Amino acid sequence: MDENLAQGLVHGLRAAGVDFITYLPETRLSQILPLLQNDSSFQLVPVGSEAEGVSIAAGAALGGKVVASYMEGTGVYVSCYNILTVGVRYGVPMLLLVSYVGSFEDHRNSFLYVQRGIKLIPQLEALDVQYQVIRNGERLEGKVKGAVRMMNALKQPVALLFTEDFTL
Amino acid sequence: MIRYECFEWLAPLMTDQLVVTSLSGQRVEWGHLSKREADLNLGSMGNALAVGIGLALALPQRKVFVFESDGSVLLSLFNLPTLANLNPPNMAVFVFDNQAYSGTRISYPSATAGKTDLAAVAKGSGIEHSVTVSALADFKKEATAALHDGGLRFVVCKIEESVGHRNITRSDVDLLETKYRFVRYLERTEGKPIFQGRG
Amino acid sequence: MKAELANRMVVALKNSGIDFISHVPETRLSEMLPLLKADDTFMLVPVASEAEAVGIAAGAALAGKRAAVYMEGTGVFVSAYNLLTVGIRYGVPMLLLVSYIGSVEDQRNTFLYSQYGCRMIPQLEALGIEYRIIEDGGNIGAKVSNAVRAMHALKQPVALLFTGEFTEAQ
Repeated sequence: MDENLAQGLVHGLRAAGVDFITYLPETRLSQILPLLQNDSSFQLVPVGSEAEGVSIAAGAALGGKVVASYMEGTGVYVSCYNILTVGVRYGVPMLLLVSYVGSFEDHRNSFLYVQRGIKLIPQLEALDVQYQVIRNGERLEGKVKGAVRMMNALKQPVALLFTEDFTL
Repeated sequence: MIRYECFEWLAPLMTDQLVVTSLSGQRVEWGHLSKREADLNLGSMGNALAVGIGLALALPQRKVFVFESDGSVLLSLFNLPTLANLNPPNMAVFVFDNQAYSGTRISYPSATAGKTDLAAVAKGSGIEHSVTVSALADFKKEATAALHDGGLRFVVCKIEESVGHRNITRSDVDLLETKYRFVRYLERTEGKPIFQGRG
Repeated sequence: MKAELANRMVVALKNSGIDFISHVPETRLSEMLPLLKADDTFMLVPVASEAEAVGIAAGAALAGKRAAVYMEGTGVFVSAYNLLTVGIRYGVPMLLLVSYIGSVEDQRNTFLYSQYGCRMIPQLEALGIEYRIIEDGGNIGAKVSNAVRAMHALKQPVALLFTGEFTEAQ
């Protein structure tokens, strides 16, 4: 994605108070990683599976951090047991920053990703996770802040699905 | 070694350490012996180790004990390389390994009943202090060190497949109650809000 | 579940042609495991995570086995990624034998399990997996062979969710 967009997203996360991010690197939004790494506002935790990305974030949230878990769309399926157990059932607020691979607007969509894209919203709805699709940088800070406000109000995971301009 | 005897010895020694438990008999036994607000009963397999990592990173000044079972660690084995590389010095993991999925009631063997050595897996993942204990005296030594010294510890406790926990009346404290009790305790002792937002 | 029901369940699996079962043991249907083990019709593969159970069953199915995966309901969530990628997307037939814990009819339902039960059907529907709920042992042979026929016809995973009588203690 465009450098300005990456900066906008990182700025939005900082402005929303997010200070702890677990992640498994992926292809669409990876430009945010060096920016997050260079910003001391964030405690960054690399993981080997999105499943533990969610559970580690839940532990940090219970320890007082404002947490996010950054993952590819596939990671929602990998971590859905964890999202359900420590996120939804236990009621722990966390922001899921999801690259919406395989969606209509994914500029790198192919037969490798399409199935994961078309099932992603039914998957989130099956887990009862609220979500918003974000296609461009318009009012990005406000959207990230809104999602963080929602997750804190609900005390549940809330997902932002990034596609279109974010997948260029 | 009997898990209940380990807990009976350890529970009175705990002060402000945070404890995360997964599922299985250890959840029931620890919940019976320790009624502390600092105990977080997750009630699910494959999550306690990771949630413990998150707590240890968020609260580096607090010691975090994680009580796991062999089946639960095997379900989320990818936690071990992550734990090794993060290397939180305020964390002690005790895996009570009875080599069986005892909840099945048919004593179905787990991988540790076969060729798998969890301490060796942890060691190979990069966790330096990774040991196996099978006598109560050795458990006491490791737990004492975990209480008083720093450094990540991963202790596989080989235990008998006791079913004593089935004679303990199960707690009626709901998962959400456990969570809020834990969170309010942390807010009080850490002097900071955990959950954001007011009504 | 009761020994007699476990017995009929194993016969039903055998009659429907199932010959490969990967599994993570659980609490409701475990009584069938010793029976499966003692029967050389079945290649039985114990694993530690339902995610790998689905992957292994898919491999066996692609090599000509009639594969089933036996798991607790929680396992459907653990293996959602694998069900989607190697089951649905790749189109590999396999029978999911799922103990439907936390369902309304689960005789051992508690606050530990209820959420999994509530989300089970939406979860299967999200993945596009056909399923049937089985509450008692009546006509179990036909129910299992219907599901096996459907999985071969669809070339996708098909789930049987066992609750009610199947969740009674031995």
